[in-house]
Amino acid sequence: MVDWQALVDEPAVIAAAVLVLGLIVGYLVGRLNKELLSASGVPDAVEGTPFERTAQSIGTSTVDIVARLSSWFIYGIAVLTAIHIAQLLDTDAFWLRVTEFIPQVFVAVLVLILGFIIADKVELVVSEYFRGVKLPEISIVPKLLKYSVLYVAFIIALGQIGVHILALLILLAVYAAGVVLVGTFAFKDFLVSSAVGIYLLLNQPYSIGDEITIGDQTGIVQEVDLFVTKIETDSQEYIVPNRKVFEEGIVRMRE
Amino acid sequence: MAGLDDVFGDLFASVDAVVLFSPSGSYYERFSAVEDLDVIVIGTENPVGAETFVELPLAFDNISERIRFGLEGALEQDIIEDGDALACATSVFDDEIDTVSRVRANADQHTGIYDLFAKSRADPEVIKAVLELAIELGKKGQKGKPVGALFIVGDAGKVMNKSRPLSYNPFEKSHVHVGDPIVNVMLKEFSRLDGAFVISDAGKIVSAYRYLEPSAEGVDIPKGLGARHMAGGAITRDTNAIAIVLSESDGLVRAFKAGELILEVDPEAY
Repeated sequence: MVDWQALVDEPAVIAAAVLVLGLIVGYLVGRLNKELLSASGVPDAVEGTPFERTAQSIGTSTVDIVARLSSWFIYGIAVLTAIHIAQLLDTDAFWLRVTEFIPQVFVAVLVLILGFIIADKVELVVSEYFRGVKLPEISIVPKLLKYSVLYVAFIIALGQIGVHILALLILLAVYAAGVVLVGTFAFKDFLVSSAVGIYLLLNQPYSIGDEITIGDQTGIVQEVDLFVTKIETDSQEYIVPNRKVFEEGIVRMRE
Repeated sequence: MAGLDDVFGDLFASVDAVVLFSPSGSYYERFSAVEDLDVIVIGTENPVGAETFVELPLAFDNISERIRFGLEGALEQDIIEDGDALACATSVFDDEIDTVSRVRANADQHTGIYDLFAKSRADPEVIKAVLELAIELGKKGQKGKPVGALFIVGDAGKVMNKSRPLSYNPFEKSHVHVGDPIVNVMLKEFSRLDGAFVISDAGKIVSAYRYLEPSAEGVDIPKGLGARHMAGGAITRDTNAIAIVLSESDGLVRAFKAGELILEVDPEAY
């Protein structure tokens, strides 16, 4: 009995126990993660993305990588704790920094993986959406979106492990401001038209079949949607942007 | 079995093109791998990404209708020419292609079914959706009893000006489009109302309860059809709309364009 007590008090034994426990918990967490990710439909969501394809080609999958990452994270903690208990390395400063650093690296890697997957997925979805538009130049839009997402993911990951990212952030801000500026400038008419379109759809000051005049165009209303009103006469069909309705006003013809 | 090849070989000997009806991906691959062979794919959609593709608005159950409609569409798009000999591969019993028939394209048999979808004012999807709606309504009826219905699709502005309301319009200030999930149930309930449904080019249901007032002059529809068909047929002569009519008495769905009967389908067959 006394022997047992002495044995339990031995740091090396405790360290070994911690190590074994860590291995078991790590393995279990990895398995649990895998099951959870599979159950929540992650394999379907990431299917077809280049990241998943690369993972497949080296004989693994996104779910496997994420699950194994969480296992290794716990293994790492277990090993470090064991080393600390066994007092193999007696440097407190080193120990402190490592414990701070490991979770950050873990989160950074996770953010990177997530960033890659989201970027690939965004590219896939957007290019799918643009497939109907048979214009070769349009393929730059999904690429641009992909790299924007990747850039943000990199900034977050670098920020996580404590690299100075101020310059990168400024670049991002300039880029975002540019996109917003160009966007509002290019889509100004669309925004105004759709705002008016919402009013037209809600209040219906005129409806299909009415004869109206908008500006110079007179005709029977054929269709009202968010951006345009289609009015037509016997020989002409006018497609009037909705903002003209507010700029010029509407005249409703009475018989 | 070499003997069989000789006999059946006549079916596809010296054809101008092979027409595949809704082939599976691997099946299509095998055909497109054959050199010097024109392959035309016909189906409700184009999952195999074929270059020459003709869209069917409905998955016709009847084989001869399916082939006739498909070939009319191909003729219309100048994919094939009058007098071309075609090997049409389609499925009769299962989803797999199991039948080959040799058909000669005949431009004289033009019925305008393809025009009804591809060359009408309204979007083809809208026409397809309304046709499916009418067929479904014809199949089930209202509480087991047969119902009749009249849909006027496209050119809604003009149709509204050539009709008057029979009562308050239940679709006023609403934004219901055909193809919305709730529409089938809604229209089934409203189908006991008299009058016509007016649907715009983009599929918005503009009005129910419309009494159509076209001039019925020179409308040539088969004798024996009632006032609903006459009204529907006549308005398509006066406007660029098409009319899809579900007959209460014989349960058939008919489509009119430019005052003429274009399509007649039995809902029970789908």
